[in-house]
Amino acid sequence: MKLVFLLFFFFFQSSEALDFKKLKTKSGIEFWFVQDNSIPIISLSFSFRGGSSLELQDQHGLANLMVSLMDEGTRNLNSQEFKKLMKLNGMKLSFSSQKDRIDGVFQVISSQADQGFELFKEALNYPKFSEDEIKKVKNQISSSIKIDQSNIPTIASNKFNEYFFGDHIFKRNIKGTIKSLEKFKRQDISNFHEKSFQKENLVIGVAGDITDKKIKILIESVFGKLQDKFTIPEIELFSNLSIGQQVYKMKTPQTSVLFGHPGLKRNNEDFFALRIANYILGGGGFQSRLYKNIREKKGLVYSVYSYLLPFENDGVIVGGFQTRNKSVYETINAVKKNWKSMNTRGVSKEELNNAKAYFNGSFTRNFTSTSSIAALLKIVQYYKLGENYFQNREKIINNIDHEMVNSVASKYFKTENLFFMIVGEPEEK
Amino acid sequence: MKIVSIFFAILLVSFNLNSKKIFNAKSHKLENGLTLIVVENPRAPVVAQMIWYDFGSSVEEIGKSGLAHFIEHLMFKGTKKFPKNYYSNFISKIGGSENAFTSYDYTAYYQVFPSQHLEKIIELEADRMQNLTLTKKNVEIEREVILEERFQRIESNPSSQLDESMRSVLYPNNYYGRPIIGWKHEIEKLNYDDVFNFYKNFYKPNNAVLVLSGDVNFSKAKEIVDKYYGNIKSSDTLKRKVVSDPDFKTTTFVELKNENVKQQVWKRIYRTKSFTKSIEESMALDLGMKILAGGSSSVLYEELVDEKKIFSMVGGFYQGLSKGDGYIYFYAIPNKEMDEKEIGDLIDKEVKKNIESKITPEKLELEKQKYYFDSIYGMDGILKPAEIIGEALSVGLKLNEIEKWNNKLKKINIDMVKKELNEFSKNNNYVTGSLRN
Repeated sequence: MKLVFLLFFFFFQSSEALDFKKLKTKSGIEFWFVQDNSIPIISLSFSFRGGSSLELQDQHGLANLMVSLMDEGTRNLNSQEFKKLMKLNGMKLSFSSQKDRIDGVFQVISSQADQGFELFKEALNYPKFSEDEIKKVKNQISSSIKIDQSNIPTIASNKFNEYFFGDHIFKRNIKGTIKSLEKFKRQDISNFHEKSFQKENLVIGVAGDITDKKIKILIESVFGKLQDKFTIPEIELFSNLSIGQQVYKMKTPQTSVLFGHPGLKRNNEDFFALRIANYILGGGGFQSRLYKNIREKKGLVYSVYSYLLPFENDGVIVGGFQTRNKSVYETINAVKKNWKSMNTRGVSKEELNNAKAYFNGSFTRNFTSTSSIAALLKIVQYYKLGENYFQNREKIINNIDHEMVNSVASKYFKTENLFFMIVGEPEEK
Repeated sequence: MKIVSIFFAILLVSFNLNSKKIFNAKSHKLENGLTLIVVENPRAPVVAQMIWYDFGSSVEEIGKSGLAHFIEHLMFKGTKKFPKNYYSNFISKIGGSENAFTSYDYTAYYQVFPSQHLEKIIELEADRMQNLTLTKKNVEIEREVILEERFQRIESNPSSQLDESMRSVLYPNNYYGRPIIGWKHEIEKLNYDDVFNFYKNFYKPNNAVLVLSGDVNFSKAKEIVDKYYGNIKSSDTLKRKVVSDPDFKTTTFVELKNENVKQQVWKRIYRTKSFTKSIEESMALDLGMKILAGGSSSVLYEELVDEKKIFSMVGGFYQGLSKGDGYIYFYAIPNKEMDEKEIGDLIDKEVKKNIESKITPEKLELEKQKYYFDSIYGMDGILKPAEIIGEALSVGLKLNEIEKWNNKLKKINIDMVKKELNEFSKNNNYVTGSLRN
């Protein structure tokens, strides 16, 4: 591991990227920041915990509708005026609603920082939510739900959520249904906005061409007025994940299969060891066992993968592939076989060393743009990995030995806990 | 923050459109014809390498569609010196990432990796330009993988099937009318000799541009590239045919009905000029299309989504980075079931009506400003510059032209834009498509 050490040493010396600052605004908002003047851009990445999980029983799709309206005008500007000013200032703003959070990205050309942050402040705190725009965006989401209905992988993803998560709220499709969208009124959206964007649920990472002093003022101006009025309920653990398989029949020459299995929260102490085991099984691009055994040796699929998906409350392992109708069950069996071998035989020393080298070497790729630096700073805070994560990460990886990864693999990879969602016309064997 | 401030702000930032080069790229041409481009950006110890071969499905002989893409898959199968998946395995071990893609006019391979491994990665890429070893079994299995890819991208996706069919009508004489991945019945017949000959004949240094971007020094890179590529012989076995398509005397309507389709979608593709014909004209057309149909603040969107509320979405874009003709793509999603002819007529009418009244100098300034800002965003990261430069050089533009893009941008005025849009509104070389239940 000498090589890796040298790389990090060099990195500390030559780049500001790891040298982040923990800053605090006047009203107490904390955020992590890397000053990078190499390009005149400021990138901000943020998340609000909650997201679609804050929807009540009859509010299916409300989070997504609300965030889709966030760039459709403010108290002083209509939608078209707002969009023109965004363009004029080289500003980008996007929100996306997830199962357990809302993610956002804001970027601006640094010479336009004041104007850009002003627009961002208006959009976040005072969205217009005009009746016209609400109707328009509802139409757009409805069209997109209908378009999804002819997209086999998207149907598979929705059906997978619906069946895999049992009776947990995560079973719901983020977009809601055409019917559920219809009944939302302006007041529902506006209330949900207030509930979604609360200060105590916020994490922010910033990178780019601006000073500490200035960014503190601008962050305060955007987020400082947010309130903490609502208590956010804790999301339940997954107590009832499905196992086995479910078939949803559709006329198509190729079937889409998604699979799921219990996993771990991001801050579980076994997480990194399981992540390494999964990299070997199905995560490592052209190197994984699933890729080699199912695509490279048998030609059954174009793509096959698995990855760990940690949430606020709990975690799962998910994966997928598409294959022609005649080879669906053959491929499912191949996935099961590889899964089982992780449990019974574990990984080889060589596989482990390669995987550890990958995780050590790949980290610096996060430091090549202001947007990827900001995203990383946010993620480390979001998952509460600690201020010293950047120093500790290498140690965490190097401490994972052969025995440890194999014990984690046999503890967590259980073939009998796999669930397969099959969408298409699988041919029985 | 009132609208009045827009104009003030435009004056404030316009002087930024200066004559600076965008990428400050350095270039070097080897005797065997290989072009090396280096974009130095040392802010993180990471390099992106892209090799662009300036041919894609364009050079496949008739009846053998899919060859270029097939060989792209097989380029990961190893060489004598670095057998099997040595290359991919090496990239993975150093924490790198890699992939490849094929288009009509180019085929590209890329890796992003820690900069200390620069020499080895250059060696590995040079090695597979000439020493690929293939077994018949590699070809047999990969054909199945490619068929699965085709099923995934096209056969099980009604919208892609419609696009494929529309392109085959739009380019009746040109390779742009054939799918890059190949027709299913032709992929099924491609054999070992087909793919290996294609590789042997066309993977030559004089057909390639190597771009290195990130923590890399030009003179060092030059030295290493000379060392590993210098001995590879050039070859002129690649004969390029320039074929163009006739003007249409008829109109064609393509319909795809599929029981899974729940939302009607209308599309239209026009054949038009490309940047290789004229940068200024194409840039004016591009800016014009952005004002007219780009995104959710375009003239058509404002008129037909915001005001008249006929569509939930409407838009279009111009793609002009090609050796032959470029194209303009339009789509509309109606709020209520509509007759296709009615949609086409409505869009035609709105386009004609709005060119004079709504394509204003203010809107042009705004789009130019955005164009300029986008060139700054393009520099945030190391892969993007390599992509932009590689693609532009592969279709036939010059490095200097790319570097001075913003100078040309400055000269585009409203008359040039209107001229292009008027020409577009009279363009009969199009095909209309409909996706419905």
